[in-house]
Amino acid sequence: MKTLIFGAGNLLLSDEGFGVHFIEYLQKHYVFPDDVTLYDGGTLGIMVCHMLEEADQVFLVDVIEATGEPGDIYRYEKEDFMLGKLPIKMSPHQIGIQEVLALSEIRDRCPEKVTLFGIIPASYEAGAELSPLLAGKLPGLAELVVAEITASGSPVEKC
Amino acid sequence: MARITLDPITRIEGHLRIDAEVNGGVVTNAWSSAQMWRGIETILKDRPPQDAWIYAQRFCGVCTTVHAISSIRSVEHALKVDVPLNAQYIRNIIMAQHSVQDHIVHFYHLSALDWVDVVSALKADPKKTAQLAQSISNWPGNSETEFKAVQQKLKSFVETGRLGIFASGYWGHPAMKLPPEANLMAVAHYLKALDYQRKAAQAIAILGGKNPHIQNLCVGGVATAINMENLATLNMEKIASLKTLMTETRDFVQQVYYPDMVAIASIYKDWFKYGRGVVNYLAVPEMPEDTKNTKFALPGAIINGGDIKKARIVTNHQDLDLIANIKENVSHAWYEGNGTLHPWDGETKPNYTDFQDNGKYTWCKAPRLDGKPVQVGPPAQLFAAYAGGNEKVRKLVDASCAKIGVGVNDLHSTMGRLGARAIRAHLMADYSLEYLDKLVENVGKGDKVYANPTEIPKGEYKGVGFHEAPRGTLSHWIVIENRKIKNYQAVVPSTWNASPRDDKGALGPYEASLVGNPVAQADKPLEVLRTIHSFDPCIACAVHTIDPEGKEITNVKVM
Repeated sequence: MKTLIFGAGNLLLSDEGFGVHFIEYLQKHYVFPDDVTLYDGGTLGIMVCHMLEEADQVFLVDVIEATGEPGDIYRYEKEDFMLGKLPIKMSPHQIGIQEVLALSEIRDRCPEKVTLFGIIPASYEAGAELSPLLAGKLPGLAELVVAEITASGSPVEKC
Repeated sequence: MARITLDPITRIEGHLRIDAEVNGGVVTNAWSSAQMWRGIETILKDRPPQDAWIYAQRFCGVCTTVHAISSIRSVEHALKVDVPLNAQYIRNIIMAQHSVQDHIVHFYHLSALDWVDVVSALKADPKKTAQLAQSISNWPGNSETEFKAVQQKLKSFVETGRLGIFASGYWGHPAMKLPPEANLMAVAHYLKALDYQRKAAQAIAILGGKNPHIQNLCVGGVATAINMENLATLNMEKIASLKTLMTETRDFVQQVYYPDMVAIASIYKDWFKYGRGVVNYLAVPEMPEDTKNTKFALPGAIINGGDIKKARIVTNHQDLDLIANIKENVSHAWYEGNGTLHPWDGETKPNYTDFQDNGKYTWCKAPRLDGKPVQVGPPAQLFAAYAGGNEKVRKLVDASCAKIGVGVNDLHSTMGRLGARAIRAHLMADYSLEYLDKLVENVGKGDKVYANPTEIPKGEYKGVGFHEAPRGTLSHWIVIENRKIKNYQAVVPSTWNASPRDDKGALGPYEASLVGNPVAQADKPLEVLRTIHSFDPCIACAVHTIDPEGKEITNVKVM
């Protein structure tokens, strides 16, 4: 099974870059088998379509706007956030992840399993570091994702 | 009179608001407002100059590579560092492939839906679609079977009410004019285009080590070791796969994108009349072919009042007049004061008011050249190269104008910008392969040098890195003091084009281009989107938040 861990965000806007920091954290602390790809996607929209399409299961990590406290992490499965399940959302950005997945569906290449871990940010200030609150969330989320990948048949080890 | 507020404009990067006053179905006044605070340059202060490009390429989510190039050039310019030929060629290939990827995505995924009615494609006859497609191109993918399959798939999506990606289109709008067969052809190519933007991304990754965010630059060259026999370096195997990828992408651009663009432009010929706006242009020279950035394949130029014949050709990146005369004014932007500063002295002191029609109304500064607003982008580069006598550009521009039935001067328009981008993609696809050949030939001659290692000296240095990016002239301005960055400013293509009014009241290019634009239905201002999208806006920053609550955040307000 080909797994993609996709970290999204802008590294220069503190917590907005959580997904990218998450990828760096995983690279530093774990050893992944060949069928797992760690991807720092930055803030690419539609230009990452192919990365998603090449995987069987995808873990997306990004900041979200949701009701709750900064640092709260929400988990969504594909069916929770695909277009059509939610009211029509138009991203102010290029083309959002929901649209990208819908496009992959039209192309018959949408991965079977897509899980989004979304975290509520504490700061969008200009800065290359995470807020202490969100930095503290990295190890826990990493353990969770690693455990799931191991359970799906691709053993991940600590380094 | 109706006042339309479009906030935000969709299918662009970043958050842009457009206000337009409409009288008798025509836009009579307009305001362009960048709704995002952009202070990321401040992050670079006090950091080592040799790391600037790593940070700078995170400015934006789409134009990563271009900021890296501009940034590294600013340091090289400041310190007068030579760049070896192999490094120039490798950078040229990366720039050209980035352009190809960017233009494909802009045409199909970000602007086509302004012209293509997806729902109408359901009524098309796939056989006739194949005939139409085969009449304009001999691309092997244009088969009846392919078009039929796409139509089926689309039908099932429409039936389940899940138009998804296409949801922000204006179906059945009276300004949509393509016949169903052309719509189906465009939709099929829209889906196919994703496979080819990917090949361009792969080519960039082979040379740059990573995509997005290349890793192979260094002050004085690239960190791409060249040894044709070594597995870990740029070798024959990698050159061969680059060639395959770039050839396939070239074929798509030249046999699909370009003919599609010509076909669509021929049907929407009236759009060569709209969207003229600011016809002062700036393009900088690009594709360096020597080690000192003095000899370029594509010349730059400054053009005033749309007069291509009187263009002042810019031949290199050391043009002192150009360097001295780029300034930014903040009279109508949310920054302190009303002043005009040169980027080396640039300040970023926020002063948010609210949207004031006659006061401050945007986060975008107003860059001016010699005190005048200018338009940047593919038309500017083509006009410059045309005026400068580049034979390839002349041939391509003349041939496509003849096919569509317009003249070169009609390119000062909404459709002209879209056409210019397709011509530029065609050109860049060719340049990619040409520079790969030049690289192999140069290495074959025994030149293995790919970097001039450079220490940052003590003292104060100022530099500017010019780059003719897919969206237009980009410049990064750096002031180095005692091995640290003292000041850093990026004057990006979209700030030139999305610029607000200045201290003299002169409108920016987006604003001016909308005046005279028709609007058939004020509550569905498709025509405004057409003109704004033709600039390929990219409002830097790229805040990127998923909103799982799915609240509707695009608002068209008509007062």
